[in-house]
Amino acid sequence: MIPVHLPLVELLIDIFAASILVTAFLIVSSRSLVFYIRLFALQSLLLGMVALLVVIGYGETHILIAAILTIAIKAIAIPVVLTRVIERIHVQKEIRFRMSITASLMFCGGIVILADSVAQSILRSPHAEASAVTRVLSVSIAMMLIGLFIMMTRQKALTQIIGLLTMENGVFLSGLSITYGMPLIVEVGIFFDILVAVLILGVFVFRINKTFESISIDSLRSLRH
Amino acid sequence: MATIILLSFLFQIILVIALAPLVTGIIRKTKARFQHRRGATVLQPYYDLVKLMRKDVVVSSVASWLFHCTPFVVFSSMVVISLLVPTVVTPVPLHWVGDIIAVIYLFALGRFFMALVGLDTASAFGGLGSSREMSIASIVEPAMMLAIFTAAVTAGSTDLSVIVDRLSTTPASMLNPSHLLAFAGLFVVSLAETGRIPVDNPATHLELTMIHEAMILEYSGPYLALIEWASQVKLVIFLALMANMFFPLGMATTWSPSALAVGAGAFLLKVIGLALIVALVESTNAKLRLFRVPELLVVAFILSLLSLILYFIVGA
Repeated sequence: MIPVHLPLVELLIDIFAASILVTAFLIVSSRSLVFYIRLFALQSLLLGMVALLVVIGYGETHILIAAILTIAIKAIAIPVVLTRVIERIHVQKEIRFRMSITASLMFCGGIVILADSVAQSILRSPHAEASAVTRVLSVSIAMMLIGLFIMMTRQKALTQIIGLLTMENGVFLSGLSITYGMPLIVEVGIFFDILVAVLILGVFVFRINKTFESISIDSLRSLRH
Repeated sequence: MATIILLSFLFQIILVIALAPLVTGIIRKTKARFQHRRGATVLQPYYDLVKLMRKDVVVSSVASWLFHCTPFVVFSSMVVISLLVPTVVTPVPLHWVGDIIAVIYLFALGRFFMALVGLDTASAFGGLGSSREMSIASIVEPAMMLAIFTAAVTAGSTDLSVIVDRLSTTPASMLNPSHLLAFAGLFVVSLAETGRIPVDNPATHLELTMIHEAMILEYSGPYLALIEWASQVKLVIFLALMANMFFPLGMATTWSPSALAVGAGAFLLKVIGLALIVALVESTNAKLRLFRVPELLVVAFILSLLSLILYFIVGA
């Protein structure tokens, strides 16, 4: 496949990357678990689109399978599984926060600035080449940190899963931005890892809910006794 | 030359101020349609204004001079702003007076007097409305500043005419991610500033929810008409800001009749299109609890902040 360096592709990659960042912020700003899952599905769809654009714009055909897997697994399969879990445990909302939504949003704004300065120092090295894809690096670092932040400040087990998945999306995006994607075997490995992890975690959430009558992770401390 | 300047003043005033009630009418009609009602005609806001103009003013015996001058301050600040905002043709009539920062502070001037007058008659609702308005404004203003600064940084100037000109010459930059985010931020800000539904409900006088209506509860007759008209103009100004600061397609740069016709048509299309989007948002969302409003506005603030950060990341 002949690589076509279209300015249009670069523009679209910028727009999709910005939208991915916005979905991460919307996850931080919302309370409803269903909304979290839908936003995650949208985020993964946008991520798949970025990967597809890398295939089209830069001729990296080996990403194609990873892109299709991203859309199939992360944008469709995992959200469906998680929605089933929510339907069965009848938990709709994240109620108690360790940090208020307003403060979390401000904090995540700071995270983006931090991520950008880190990314800039990476890209300043002589081997880095500037393109729309490398510019995405700061977005991907911000995604990893925001995912970690979601895991730290939210209490429901399901939100923890969403945080983990957001981090994973960040990792995929950073792989995409630095090296146009990791080798296919690694990507496929990660995908099945994630899928199985979510399936198991989904079952876990269900069992936790049955045992403790809640999916708040604070209750898990009582296991120590 | 003098006639052209005079003409541009008249043109802009007629377009923004005279059309403002029509835009409000269109929004109400659309909302009615969404609710499967037939709704009043789109001209109803004009009839309301005329009816109010004919009525007497009832003034509380404890009201001070503020009560009498506020409607004029509010309305005239909107008139001045409407001469500063690009609608159909650039440069704007009053471009030598001030830039976008002047616009923001003229809004603040009107709001300041409204808040004072809410307290003036010492009615319980007025004070409540004033305090709510000011606390919301304190979050809205920085978000609006940031969103507007993104456009200003892109164009290298805070002069609205220059922003519009720069964008018109490089249409690709209209699709910049930072530009789109700033637009989204400004959209949420506009909903809050003009008292639309997720923040305030313009159609109700329920004491628990009202913000803008609480401040003007004591007003009647022509004074009320002036204030209502001013808030309708404010809505149009915000729609025009969103349309032309971010997507200045079709703006006229000369005073030739054909360019003006294209510009006026594009302006009407954009403003009515945005008004329909506002009506859609109002019909599909419930009003937020007052204590949840800051969360929405912080989202707007963060969107604007992100747009500014992204501008430096992506480097437009």
